[in-house]
Amino acid sequence: MLAKFILKRIIILIPVLFGISIILFIINRILPGDPVLAMMPMGVRAELFDDVYRSIYLRLGMDRPIWEQYFRWMYSFFIHGDFGFSTMYSRPVTEVIGTPLRNTIILNVTVNIIYLLIALPIGIRMAVKRGSLFDNGWQVFSLATFAMPAFFLAITLIFIFSITLGWFPVGGMPNPVFLQGANLLWGWVRHLALPVTTLVIISLASAIRFIRNAMIDALSQDYIRTARSKGLSEKVVIYSHAFRNALIPISTIIVFTLFALIGGAAVTEQVFAYNGMGRLLIRAVEGRDRMIIISVAMLFSIVNVFAALVADIIYGLVDPRVKLK
Amino acid sequence: MSNNDNTGKKIGKSFLSMFKRLFVRDKIELNVLEEEALQTPMKAVFKRLIVNKIAIIGFCMFVIILLFSFVGSLVFPLNEVHTELTHFNIRPSRNFLNYPSELNDSNIINIVSGVSFSAALTDDGNVHMWGTEPNLELPGVSDFILNVPQEVQDAFIVQIEAGMRFIIALDDEGNLHGWGHAGHGQTTLPDTISGPVLMVGGGISRIVAGSMWSAVILGNGNMHVWGSFQAEQNFMVPFEAMGRIVDAFAVDVNMILLLDDGSIMPMGVRGTEFYTNVPPELMDGSTRVEQVAVTNRNVMALDEHGTAHIWGSMIDGLHRFPEGMTPENVVHISAGYRNFIAVKENGDVYVWGADDYGQNNLPRGIENAGVHAVFANAFQFYAVDEDNNIVSTWGNRGYLFGSDHFGRDIFTRLVHGGRISLSVGIIAVVISTVIAIIIGLASGFFGGWVDHTLMRVADIVDALPFLPLVVILSFAIGDTLDQAQRMYFVMIILGLLSWQGLARFIRAQLLIEREKDFVLAARALGIKQRSIMFKHILPNVFNFVIVQVTLSYATFILMESALSFLGFGITEPVPTWGNMLTSAQETMVIQYFWWRWIIPGLFLIAACLSINMIGDALREAMDPKSQER
Repeated sequence: MLAKFILKRIIILIPVLFGISIILFIINRILPGDPVLAMMPMGVRAELFDDVYRSIYLRLGMDRPIWEQYFRWMYSFFIHGDFGFSTMYSRPVTEVIGTPLRNTIILNVTVNIIYLLIALPIGIRMAVKRGSLFDNGWQVFSLATFAMPAFFLAITLIFIFSITLGWFPVGGMPNPVFLQGANLLWGWVRHLALPVTTLVIISLASAIRFIRNAMIDALSQDYIRTARSKGLSEKVVIYSHAFRNALIPISTIIVFTLFALIGGAAVTEQVFAYNGMGRLLIRAVEGRDRMIIISVAMLFSIVNVFAALVADIIYGLVDPRVKLK
Repeated sequence: MSNNDNTGKKIGKSFLSMFKRLFVRDKIELNVLEEEALQTPMKAVFKRLIVNKIAIIGFCMFVIILLFSFVGSLVFPLNEVHTELTHFNIRPSRNFLNYPSELNDSNIINIVSGVSFSAALTDDGNVHMWGTEPNLELPGVSDFILNVPQEVQDAFIVQIEAGMRFIIALDDEGNLHGWGHAGHGQTTLPDTISGPVLMVGGGISRIVAGSMWSAVILGNGNMHVWGSFQAEQNFMVPFEAMGRIVDAFAVDVNMILLLDDGSIMPMGVRGTEFYTNVPPELMDGSTRVEQVAVTNRNVMALDEHGTAHIWGSMIDGLHRFPEGMTPENVVHISAGYRNFIAVKENGDVYVWGADDYGQNNLPRGIENAGVHAVFANAFQFYAVDEDNNIVSTWGNRGYLFGSDHFGRDIFTRLVHGGRISLSVGIIAVVISTVIAIIIGLASGFFGGWVDHTLMRVADIVDALPFLPLVVILSFAIGDTLDQAQRMYFVMIILGLLSWQGLARFIRAQLLIEREKDFVLAARALGIKQRSIMFKHILPNVFNFVIVQVTLSYATFILMESALSFLGFGITEPVPTWGNMLTSAQETMVIQYFWWRWIIPGLFLIAACLSINMIGDALREAMDPKSQER
């Protein structure tokens, strides 16, 4: 049953993936600049120029019909895992992407753990103490941070904690050449502190509201009244009966933020000069490195598609009422 | 008595209601609950809205921001390409012209101005300063110019001159004092000039301040220039002028020397406008020159006969006299950075040139004030009368929200940036909403393969990473667009990539509403499918759409700002709230020039916050059940 459900979801994904790849392929074609010239080695003698140009042209397969180029690219991307050659770094894109991908995942996972640890208790408490000062206070916080541009928050944090107080570096990455062991770990903590704070605050705004509303929905159900009338303690009612049911909508939002931050943290990464995927993409756009641009965008899309799939499956798993069809 | 009254009223009321029931059939008196149920939904929503404090506050905030941006744009026109590079990074203030009151009782000898400050020298040898501090306190490079050093306060000052961000002063013992920005060492005499050179030269007789350099004229008529490297290269005193220099009038790269026979001589970078069309009679000594005034590119000289001469660049019309002014009978001339001022014998004051800060708007009543002279050498003008008291001031009052790295007024850019940010947001919202409604309706209405296809398209748009894709698209297409097209491009791209959430929402609502009892009833009555859809189902969905659209307006404004912040949205020189913060990626800006990022940021937050407040209140008003939560 479950396997069939997953299989069906994956089959639906295939046209979506094709659609995305076609869009990205078209974008790749209309990017300004000549991809052959970008691959041209330095200092080619003038009389050899046309020959070299021709050979690169053929190597890139640009003489083939356009649909064949598309399928060649798809083939090498998905089957070989070959993302092409970065002209900006003069290395294969797979090598270039490695470190930023790791950094983004580190940032992302940290943010998700911290914000869930904060958002869950707050959201639950808000729902339980609905209308109290606590609830209203966090509602205002949510309203205010929802209107806050990430870059402004980031700059404000830099101003307060890096420049005025001097606690954390303004930006950048810990240098593994100079730092070892515990020092390196401490370096990571120091460099992660502000970007993580920024992203946590931004994510909290919608998360606490979502959790609160899910909890309120759960708390207003009949089975809660039943549980209370059975004489169960309020703690058991809230955490065992209400929260478990509220987890069904919450789980999907968790999955989405977990994946969404991979693509959505570009602004924060840029302000803090954090060497992640978002910043890599911006630098690639500025450096007109088309293979990095296309590969990163494609990776982001795959991650998004995957997130939707996982959310669907989890939803089906945790809520027995959802028919797996 | 009162009891009687009440009975009378009661009787009257019952009569009234009797008549009402007899003749007016429909009007039945209702209790509160019934009345609510019979109101149109819009009325009910409105009633709930106007008692909601959050809605009122949000609405007022938003209206203020709208007025600020749209009416402000009409009141404060913006010249997008106008820059005043000398005015970079000036603090927010409006006090450039607010001279201290003690000047009213003293005899003013001279007033000199820098970019944002002015200094007055009075005949008791004191220096008074006012305005806004243009410098950061960086040890060794600059200190606060408004803090007059103790040695200057103790000395008897006979001459002061102001550069862009520094001041030099000469005291009665021939000592040079300087303070303010000293990045080129322009505030202190260099070792090569001090000591023996001064002794041989007969001490300092005059001092001259350029934009970033200083010069001294010695008693023997020689001149020494120091400060910025360029200035030292530029100002080689010509052989003919050596030993004959009486005074000098300076701007950036040029100087007009006044020689002992009353003739003048341009000096500095060759080939600038200072050398073109110089009246020959002023050069050969046949006519003595009394006063000289120099702007950035032009020179005006007043000869012994009271006739003014003018030459130099044609920019801002400074190469000729204004209409209605004759060059004769002039008693005083002076020049701002881009303006000339002339005072006639009869007290008429003329000012002409650039008009970016209201320099040419003479204050009212100045004709009858008996103006004797006007002190100006930047953008702040001070008119004084026979008794050497200030009678009138005009020119640049300051920058309300400070200035940026190009010396542009942040206030004006904020006003116009708001207009652009808010309009880009609203048009993007309209585009995305229209697409969402069409696709959502089509999907929910037709179902089947249309639904399937459209939802897969929504899946694709959902999966495309938003910010990266917009960055890529803006890079791919943006280069070929001009500024206006780029704005539309940003609107369209934002709208095209963010309809899918609302479309899904509409579709889902349609599916839910379709199963409700009133639809079943309508169908049973034999009403056509289409009119069920548009007349019965759609109005129910419409409420939700309005809430969603309001909330997504704020999101679009944030999106545009993020995009412009990264440099991929609307680009300079067109201002938006986002791209005004772009330069705040530099630590220097974050640390010292707080007004350049806090102020646009706060406006952005205020706009989005007010919109969100309205959206939240709307949601509560339209869905009273959520209020009970």
